[in-house]
Order: sequence, then structure tokens, then C-alpha cells
Amino acid sequence: MATLDQKSPNVLLQSLCCRVTGKSEAEVAHLFQYAVRVIGSNYAPTIERDEFLVSEKIKKELLKQRREPDAALFSELHRKLQTQGVLKHRWSILYLLLSLCDDPRKPSSRVGNYGALFGQGLPRDSHSTPFYCTRPQSLPLSYPERSAAIQNASSMGTSGIGISDPILSFVDSVRGSRLAWALPMTTSLSGSAAPTSRLPPGPPAPVGRAPLRQRREGDSAEISEVALVRDILYVFQSIDGKFIKMSTPENCYKIDSKLPLCKSLRDMSSRLAELGWLHNKVRKYTDSRSLDRAFGLVGQSFCASLHQELKEYYRLLSVLHSQLQVEDDQGALDSALTLKRLLVWTYDPKVRLKTLAALVDFCQGRKGGELASAVHTYGKTGDPNMRALVQHILGLVSHPILNFLYRWIYDGELEDTYHEFFVASDPTVKTDRLWHDKYSLRKSMIPSFITMDQARKVLLIGKSINFLHQVCHDRTPPGKIMPPSKSADSPKDAAELFTDLEGAFQEKIDAAYFETSKYLLDVLNKNYLLLEHLQAMRRYLLLGQGDFIRHLMDLLKPELARPATTLYQHNLTGILETAVRATNAQFDCPEILKRLDVRLLEVSPGDTGWDVFSLDYHVEGPIATVFTRECMSHYLRVFNFLWRAKRMEYILTDIWKGQMCNAKLLKSMPELSGVLHQCHILASEMVHFIHQMQYYITFEVLECSWDELWNKVQQAQDLDHIIAAHEVFLDTVISRCLLDTNSRSLLNQLRAIFDQIIEFQSAQDTLYRSALEELQLRLQFEERKRQRQEEGEWGVTAEQEAEEKKRIQDFQDTIPKMRSQLRILSHFYQGIVQQFLVLLMTSLDESLQFLSFRLDFNEHYKAREPRLRVSLGATRGRRSSNI
Amino acid sequence: MASAANTNMNAVRETMDVLLEISRLLNTGLDMESLSICVRLCEQGINPEALSSVIKELRRASDTLKVSEFNSLSVSFIIMDQLGCFFL
Repeated sequence: MATLDQKSPNVLLQSLCCRVTGKSEAEVAHLFQYAVRVIGSNYAPTIERDEFLVSEKIKKELLKQRREPDAALFSELHRKLQTQGVLKHRWSILYLLLSLCDDPRKPSSRVGNYGALFGQGLPRDSHSTPFYCTRPQSLPLSYPERSAAIQNASSMGTSGIGISDPILSFVDSVRGSRLAWALPMTTSLSGSAAPTSRLPPGPPAPVGRAPLRQRREGDSAEISEVALVRDILYVFQSIDGKFIKMSTPENCYKIDSKLPLCKSLRDMSSRLAELGWLHNKVRKYTDSRSLDRAFGLVGQSFCASLHQELKEYYRLLSVLHSQLQVEDDQGALDSALTLKRLLVWTYDPKVRLKTLAALVDFCQGRKGGELASAVHTYGKTGDPNMRALVQHILGLVSHPILNFLYRWIYDGELEDTYHEFFVASDPTVKTDRLWHDKYSLRKSMIPSFITMDQARKVLLIGKSINFLHQVCHDRTPPGKIMPPSKSADSPKDAAELFTDLEGAFQEKIDAAYFETSKYLLDVLNKNYLLLEHLQAMRRYLLLGQGDFIRHLMDLLKPELARPATTLYQHNLTGILETAVRATNAQFDCPEILKRLDVRLLEVSPGDTGWDVFSLDYHVEGPIATVFTRECMSHYLRVFNFLWRAKRMEYILTDIWKGQMCNAKLLKSMPELSGVLHQCHILASEMVHFIHQMQYYITFEVLECSWDELWNKVQQAQDLDHIIAAHEVFLDTVISRCLLDTNSRSLLNQLRAIFDQIIEFQSAQDTLYRSALEELQLRLQFEERKRQRQEEGEWGVTAEQEAEEKKRIQDFQDTIPKMRSQLRILSHFYQGIVQQFLVLLMTSLDESLQFLSFRLDFNEHYKAREPRLRVSLGATRGRRSSNI
Repeated sequence: MASAANTNMNAVRETMDVLLEISRLLNTGLDMESLSICVRLCEQGINPEALSSVIKELRRASDTLKVSEFNSLSVSFIIMDQLGCFFL
């Protein structure tokens, strides 16, 4: 009979039903179906399969019933069972027997269940979910007593109510447990009656009820706690309850003070109502923001994260509601939900909601990067729970921003309809100003977890990519520039980023920056010959190519001496090309040579060609980003200045040549020697002056600055560096060449000196002309005299001689005039030079001060000019005091 | 072979006796046959919790059926009706 043969479970179950109820098969059909259903749904045991535990429990049961000898007996039997080893699932059987155990004393099920309830501990939070959303079959093992409580409770139905009730209540509890929150709803179901099942042949006493219910019934006039609890549950959702309403002037939930309510209940409900207030606040924010169309992606993700948190909160509320519902259906006279219990259970959610509400307050009216900064600031707290929550939200919120960022630095694309990203693009700017004006930083939108340096780098990377695409027409896909790396695809990545913000993020940005800038510079140098153009500027516009300039000047001299209005551009261009072909400039790259051109400045009346001539260099395309229009105008100004200085040099060379040639010739006219001497002296002064100026310009100004620029350009890491270095170069050159606004007076002096030189040239020319003419006439006279003597006549007649003498006398009378003219000229010149020196002395630029030393190396001017003496001493004293 | 079967049978019988003893100690109210069925079910892996709840339910049902047997026919009719609705 007791053979363990393999019959199918269904058959066994059916026979069990028959056996237990003592009825035939047909009558127990429904029960059998029901049994199948129960077994089928509760397939896996929810408690741990610990045999030892079960046996201990059994012993405890027996001891509770004060049956110690029986307990000892059971231990014996259990040991025997273990040694026999026939059964495979001993635990199963033992558990079954335990649960069918019938205690003649009524166990106070209520208390036991209470113990079970509080032994469970408070509902645990994981993330922000207070309870697990699982089916009871797969409930984690840490809640062992729950299902046991279910089973225990369901077994104790009340006998007198009727069949339907126990079954319904059982079903309800099953339903309830399927809703997965095995709260103490089981305790509420426990009617307290002991089972009136078949009494075993043992203690015959019928069991009755053991209503261990605690009725919380005060006077009937007072509001019951149940009603309050119901109200509170509504308040939790920010809906006004019957007794507790939102009072808008004070912005809090208030209980009507007229209601009969004991003080403790009132206090507790006020404390609970705070939760409703917090919920209201958060809810209002999310609702209002969802209507706002211009809120942007960041704001939307913020609202979504708030919604998530609220969802968890709602879950808790629905659990509590269903609990209340079940109690209502049951008609249970007492409730498991008391205010105190609510207080305890809602503590954690309250803390979370408080954080959320504070966050909402802080973030009012912000959007985009500002919002992310606000959330980030809020995460700087010591409380680990709050920090975890805020970090979670921050991860979600910053995900759109990081998306923007990665798209920007890897693709150069900016799709920011709501202006949330910190890089702003100005659509009105055209491609020629793309680098300088089109993209800028929106400082308010920089999140606080991104430093200014990183933000600038990000701007630069995207700018470079766009520059490459649009201006350089370089269509390399960004994948080739930057090896494709993982971008922030999910919020999880974004959250991970924050744990290592310094390292990984910075690395990514740096890598992108280096690669992109390097690529850009390569493209500019190889395809667009940026460095070559820079050098060409130096050679042509800054008069670096000496032989070419000299030759050009030679060729242009006759042309430019004419008045400006008679000049034609094509003539001059032709001359330019001749000059190029004749000198070393012809070996230059044709790309450069074709950009070289002549430009005629605006003509003012009275200008000669010298005043309007200028060279020009055409730039276009990406090069124009470095050589902007302002830069080119600076270059032209400097060219003008240098050209003039060169011209002075040229003039003085001519003067000197003339002097050398004519000195010998005019030796025969001793009366001119004084004048000529004066001329020579003046000329050499001027020569010295111009020499020093040229030295200063060429070496101190141009070469030094150029060297600095070249070094910086070679070491430049991105285009911004090059542009900055170039601008610094031009600024230095301009200020040192006295072309900026500070040195206006100096420049004027210099111009005056140049004018004097020109005047001197013309004066000397006239002098030489008249002197040479005179010489010519005298020679002719001598020639004629000799000729006539050869012919046998008188060499010279009296009137001829008288004529000659008169003419010579006339000539000699003009000499003093010439001399005085020259004296005036030289005096004037020296005055100007002295003024110039004074100005140089007092200038702030060190190199100019050195120039003044060089100009006056033998203190020639200092002797003449008392002011110089004073100022020299003064500055010397001042400088020494500065040291 | 037969001896092995015999010893097996003996062991089984002993086990069942022990279990019956334990069951008697605990006042479960299971007789030998029910107990053997239960043992077989458990050995086949049925959840003991579910099984115990079924047994309790069956007992309760049988008790109430017994009680209502003494009532009028109409009452039992109503009860049957309710059960039918429940299973719908």
C-alpha cells in the first residue's frame, strides 16, 4: 500500500480529495479543479528548503504546546528518518506536516502575524521603489514569512459566515499577493477563528473564535482613524480630502480646526499632509513644464526623471489604496493601516520627495545648460542617498547636452533649436568670417561640470571641422580625422562619465582637439600654403627681398617722379613684372607671384607718383582667415612707411653719388667750396640719420618680430594660435614703426625730416645745376679764348673779358644766397632732428630710446639742444631709479 | 533482486511508519492513506505550501458541506451556485 509508485500527480490529487472529504469522485470534481488550480499557480516554494529549520520549527511548536516529551520523541523520529534515506524530499514532507499541524490551544494568530509583520522589517527601498514588483512565486527569499502568512491566514476562515466568504477571502489574498505587495494585508484577512476542520481524535474541545482584534473605536462623535487614513491617502496625491484641505493663502494642508479630532491624530495627519504638499509642488512643476514648448531637451529629460520618481511614489500609494480597498470589501472592523504605520512607511519617500521639491525650487525658470548646472550644484551634499538621487537625475539631464557635445566635436553639426547648448552659431555670418564670428560661446549655458578651458576647446574643435568643410572644401568624413570612439549613447554612459569627469572626458576632448587642429593645420599648410604666404608677405610687402625692391625702385624712379594723375596701373604692373623677372624673385612659387600686384592709392592734388604707389597682395579663401582685411590694411601701411624710408635712402645715395662726381669737377671754382662743404656736411648728417633709422627698422623691428612670429607659427597647435601670433606681430611692427596713434607726433617729425631731405635734394640739384652751368660757360669761354689764340687773334677782347667778369661776378653773388639757403635748410633740419630726439627720449618703448642713443652717439645734438641735455639726464635718472 | 526489493519495501514501510508517528504527534489529522498520497505528491516535487493549503481547504469544504447537509436543500443549492460563479 505504501509503495511509492509513479502515479501521475493529478490522479493522486483526486484520490486525496476523495479521501479527505470522504466523498465520491464526482462530488469533489469542483474541489479537485480548484486544487489543481492552486497547485498549478503556486508552483515553486517561496521559502527556503531548509530541513533543519523546519524541524526546529516543529520542535518549537511542540514546546509551545508544552509537550516536551513529544518534542524529544520527534527528534528521535527525525533522526531515524534521516538515517533511512528513502525519501528524497524530506523537507517537503516535514513542512507539509508542520503546516497541517493542529494546535489544540488557539494560537493568537493576530499576534503571530504581527510578529511576522514587524519581523519583515520596513519595506525596503531599492532605487526609489519601495516595494518589489514581482509575483509571489518569484518573491525573493528574504520575505519568507509573507507567503507563509498568506497560507496561514487563508486557512483560518470564519466558520459562521458561509463558504463563499472564506473562499473569497482566500482568493482576495491570492489576488492581493499577485499584486505583489505582500503587506500586512494578510493580517487583515485573518479573521481569528481557528479552523473548524475535522477534529483529529484528540482534544475534543471545539474551537471558537479568538477575536483578538483591537478596535480603535473612540466615541462615535470623533472621526475615526480609518476615515482620516482615507483622507490622507487622497492628500498624498494632492487631492483635497473630506477633512484635510489645501489652504492656498498659507500654502499648506490644513485640517479643519472645528472637527472633533484628538490632538495626536491631528498632529500626525499634519505631518503626513506634508507629503501631499511636496508632491503637489513637484507635480505642478512637471505639468507646467510639459506645456511649455520651448523648454528644450534638457528640461524635458529633467521632467522625465521627475516623472519616474513620482511613479515610484504612486506605486506606494496604490499599494496603500488597495489595502484600504480590501479592508473595505472585507468589512473588516479594524484596519491595518493606521496613521502611525503610514508615518513610518512614508518616511523614506518623504525624504526623496523633499529632495525633489528642493531641486524643483532651485531649477525654476532655468533651462539648458543652466538647468544642468543647477542640478549639479545640488548634488554637492554629504547625504549619500540624496547624492545618489541627484546624480541619477543629473545623468539623465546631462545626456542631451553630452549628445550635443559629441555631435559637435565629431561631426561639427549643431542642431540646437532651443538654444540649450553652450556653443552658439550666428546664421547671418558668411563663410569668409566663419572662423572669427560665426561661432561663439554662450557662457550662461556652460554646465558647471565643464570648465571654461574645456568649453573653449570644444568650441574650437567644432569650429575647425566646420571651417574645413565650408571654407577649405575639405570633405574628409570626420571618421578619418578622429578615429571613431564611443559616444554617449545612453544615459548610463553619461552617468558613468561623471564618475570620472576629470579623466575620460578631458581625454576625449583633448584627443579630439589635437587631432582636429593638427589636421586643419596640415590642410592649410599643404593645400593652401599658409606658411609660404606668410613668408611672401614678409618678402614683398615688408621689403624683405632686397634686390627685387632695389631694382623695382630703379625702374620706377622715372615713372613715379611724374604727377600722380598721369600714372597708369598697367604701366606700373608691367614694370613690376620686369623687376620680378630680372631678380631672384622669379624663382618664387608662381602661386605667390600671381598674387603680387600694384595698387594706386587715392590721389590728392599735388601728389607725385611716390605718394600713391603701393604694392598689393591678394588673399582669398582660407588664407583670408589669417590675413583679414584689417591685417592687410596694416600691412599696406607698414609698406608705405618702409617704402618711404627706402626712398629716402635712395635719394641720399643719389645725392652722395652726385657729390662724389661733382666734387672733382667743381674744384676749379674755389668760391663754391664753402657751399659745397656745407652741402657735404648736411648730406652726411642726413645719411647717418637715415642709416640709423633703417637699421632700427630692419633689425630691431622687423627681424626680431618676424623671428618670434615664425617660432610661434611653427609650434602652433591650432589656427587660433597662428592668428593670435600674427596679430601680435603686426601690432608690434606697427607700434615700433611709429604708425600707431601714440606715436603720431613722432611720425610727424619723421615725415618732416623726410621732407627736408627731399628739399635738400632739390636745393642741391639746383646748386649743382647752376654750378655746372657756370663751369660749362667758363670752360666754353676758355675754350674760345684758346681757339682764338690759335687763330692768331687776341684771345679775349676787353668787352668779352668784361662780360665774362660780370657774369662771374653775378655768379659769385648768387653764392651767398645759396649759402644762406643751405644754412637755413640745415638749421631747420637740425631743429627737427633735435625735436625728434627729444620725443624719442621720452617715449615708452625701449627700442626707441636705444634708437635715440644711436642717433646721437657722439652727443652732437645734445651739445646744441639744452632740452636734450635735460631730458637725457632726466630719463637716465628716471630709468636708474626704476632699476 | 527479490531481497533487494524486499529490503526496499521494508525501508519504505519503516519510513512510512515514522512519518505516521510524526504526523500523529503533530495532530495533523492525516490517516495513513492520505499521508501516503501526500508523500508521493511531495516526492514528485509538488509545492508543500500549496498542497497544505489545498488540504486545509478540502477539510474546510468538507466540514461546511457536512454542516449544510443538515440544512435545507435550497441553501445547498445557493452554495453550489456561488461556487459555480466563483469558478467562472
